[in-house]
Amino acid sequence: MELKVDKQNNVTVIEIAGDLDGASAETAQNEISKHIISDCSLVFNMEKCTFISSAGLRVLLMSAKHIKRENGKGALSGLSSDIKDVMEMTGFDHIFNNYDSLSKAIDAIKKEK
Amino acid sequence: MERIDTYPTQKYKGFNLRPGRPIPFGATIIPGGINFSIFSSHATGCELVLFKKREPRPFATIPFPDAFRIGNVFTMIVFDLDYENIEYGYHMDGPFDLQQGHRFDKHKVLMDPYAKVIGGRDVWGEEPDWDDIYQHRARIVFDDFDWQGDKPLEVPMEDLIIYEMHVRGFTCHRSSGVKHPGTFAGIREKIPYLKKLGVNCIEIMPVHEFDEFENSRPSPVSGEKLMNYWGYSNVGFFAPKAGYAATGRFGMQVDELKATIKDLHRNGIEVILDVVFNHTAEGNEDGPYISYRGVDNKTYYILTPDGYFYNFSGCGNTLNCNNPIVRGMILDCLRYWASAYHIDGFRFDLASILGRDQNGAPMNSPPLIESLAFDPILGKCKLIAEAWDAGGLYQVGSFPGWGRWAEWNGKYRDDIRKFLKGEVGLLGAMGQRIQGSPDLYRWHESGACTSVNFITCHDGFTLKDLVSYNGKHNEANGEDNRDGNNDNDSWNCGWEGETEDVEINRLRRKQMKNAISILLVSRGVPMLLSGDEMGNTQFGNNNAYCQDNEISWLDWDNQKKNKEIFNFVKGMIAFRKSHSVLRNKTYFQDRDPEDCGYPEISWHGIKAWDADWSDSSRTIAFMFCGKKAKQGKSNDDFIYTAINMDWNMHSFELPAIPEQLKWYVVVNTDVEPPEDIWCAGEEKAIENQFEVLVGPRSVMVLIGKKLK
Repeated sequence: MELKVDKQNNVTVIEIAGDLDGASAETAQNEISKHIISDCSLVFNMEKCTFISSAGLRVLLMSAKHIKRENGKGALSGLSSDIKDVMEMTGFDHIFNNYDSLSKAIDAIKKEK
Repeated sequence: MERIDTYPTQKYKGFNLRPGRPIPFGATIIPGGINFSIFSSHATGCELVLFKKREPRPFATIPFPDAFRIGNVFTMIVFDLDYENIEYGYHMDGPFDLQQGHRFDKHKVLMDPYAKVIGGRDVWGEEPDWDDIYQHRARIVFDDFDWQGDKPLEVPMEDLIIYEMHVRGFTCHRSSGVKHPGTFAGIREKIPYLKKLGVNCIEIMPVHEFDEFENSRPSPVSGEKLMNYWGYSNVGFFAPKAGYAATGRFGMQVDELKATIKDLHRNGIEVILDVVFNHTAEGNEDGPYISYRGVDNKTYYILTPDGYFYNFSGCGNTLNCNNPIVRGMILDCLRYWASAYHIDGFRFDLASILGRDQNGAPMNSPPLIESLAFDPILGKCKLIAEAWDAGGLYQVGSFPGWGRWAEWNGKYRDDIRKFLKGEVGLLGAMGQRIQGSPDLYRWHESGACTSVNFITCHDGFTLKDLVSYNGKHNEANGEDNRDGNNDNDSWNCGWEGETEDVEINRLRRKQMKNAISILLVSRGVPMLLSGDEMGNTQFGNNNAYCQDNEISWLDWDNQKKNKEIFNFVKGMIAFRKSHSVLRNKTYFQDRDPEDCGYPEISWHGIKAWDADWSDSSRTIAFMFCGKKAKQGKSNDDFIYTAINMDWNMHSFELPAIPEQLKWYVVVNTDVEPPEDIWCAGEEKAIENQFEVLVGPRSVMVLIGKKLK
């Protein structure tokens, strides 16, 4: 798994590439946590994410809860249909809104109050 | 603050270890590592065996140092394991002495009896590698879940309408139209259907991990593989069946099942699990080592004095339920399902075995059944016994329930079936069954709610087959039609099997409606078999345990084909739900505190107030007094039901009701739809308020309510 962090239009974009699983979950969690600050706006760009395991889904869920605690906003973009399907079946689909593209996610999060 | 015992104390071949914590049993994720804990009263040594996921050979074998054993529990923390990508098992050393009941074999890799996820059969029907030394592989799971405030629904027992279903059979047929057929996710997609039907509880046939390949063989009829389709044969008690999850291939069955339960709850539907604690999939002396026989044979199984397996389950072995250690495991298991999965209740398969002592003798006050009745975590869970076993114990009406246990009422099924087909000498029994079987349960604290009423269940004919076959047709099971029950009390209405005969088909539809009407106006808890609401057939097979095909799968096209039956069942469910007088749980008492002049239940016949209880009678009518709904705390309509199982039409004189009320028809199974059932508020007024004509083999239900 590789994590890249970028700032676009005052939104922090975290690109997760490769497999987000038990082997990478802890690193990912620690890295993501650094960017969750008060009133933050975060988009997880999942276009290059190939697989999310159970541990990976928990990273997203924990991040969502962390963002909420900090009064911030979060969204996902570019989930593959397979991953979206898995998230739906396992009940993890409610944690963030998902958008087809990064730009749509950024637009949406900026409009969110 | 960090605990001071979360650091390794020693190394073994590159693994960091420290003595573990004996409780909880199983494999538990802790900061930095995994805590492994397993008990065996008779093992002399134990090794932890670690595999990379799906790899044929272990990458490590770590002996438990003697210092890591506490009492009879081997426990160890192993640090820095990638918990998602490993599988673990145990080698247990000890005596192989059949006379003493020991079967230790230190070369076998054994599954943890407390495994929360089990791999090896990840995708239903995918042929496993038979040379694999570890067929059913314990895995490790986070048991947290984002329930978003969900909890078990605690629907009052008297308000339940149970729908018994098979996870795979429910949506496997191509006609189901779901995205993931045959899975937990498939059930979730069908929630709108369940809501439309109106049931508020699903009872799902075993979902604990089992091996669908157990005893698989080709069918002599079709040549296709017969499977262990029903799954009444546990590999592990704590793990959901991976092959029932669309995400099983990713090991996410735990989350998928929880998400399904959460969604069912959100829609007002409870979940009862059918649990099988009477035996395991290890079979008899020739069976495989999966776990229990290799971990501690003498503890887990009831053995003959010379060390063979007692077979009260009919499946080769009998779990030693009243051994204190096994009892503890069962309690741990049910507490886990109730707390981690929010399960609303349990139905215990062959529950009478739970009341046998360690020598197999039935006990008066079985400690396991008592423990479950009074357990604080299970305190609001429904507990339902199948109150018999394959060793000859039949305890319907005498199962020790401590006011907490309900029973599958087998006598309800038998008596209603016989009366439906026109047998005589059943009036007394019918009177009891309709009232919730006070002859069986009068002394039970939970009254009529002790009786789970059913006419069909997974075991036996479907409702359509009950009215289409005189005898079972189980040739496809490969046992020359010897298997399955011979006492079906069924009647084919004049032709064996499918027919184009219009009159026979009309009579069959009517008989199905008669059955559903009686079930849903009876006191007690009604249970429907999934598919009966749309006239599902198993083509005369009354024991489809091995048929993973169209014999068992629910054909959803029947919903359109048999719309008449579906609408009728849906209507009857709605009727029951809107009339609390049908759901009273206390039995008839010869008192009238409301001073309304009517008994709570009154019995009638061709003549009002004069039921014909004679041996030759095939007619009965009864009236529930609306003023006595909810034990007199609520006011409902009067409800009168006339059952005519004679082949002639009869006129039934109606009992007089208070002046301001008039009789309306809700159900008349003798007429064609849409006049066979009327929905609330649209009931059909009748001109003659003094008598009704009830057609041959028909049921009429009337309500007495204020004139519109």
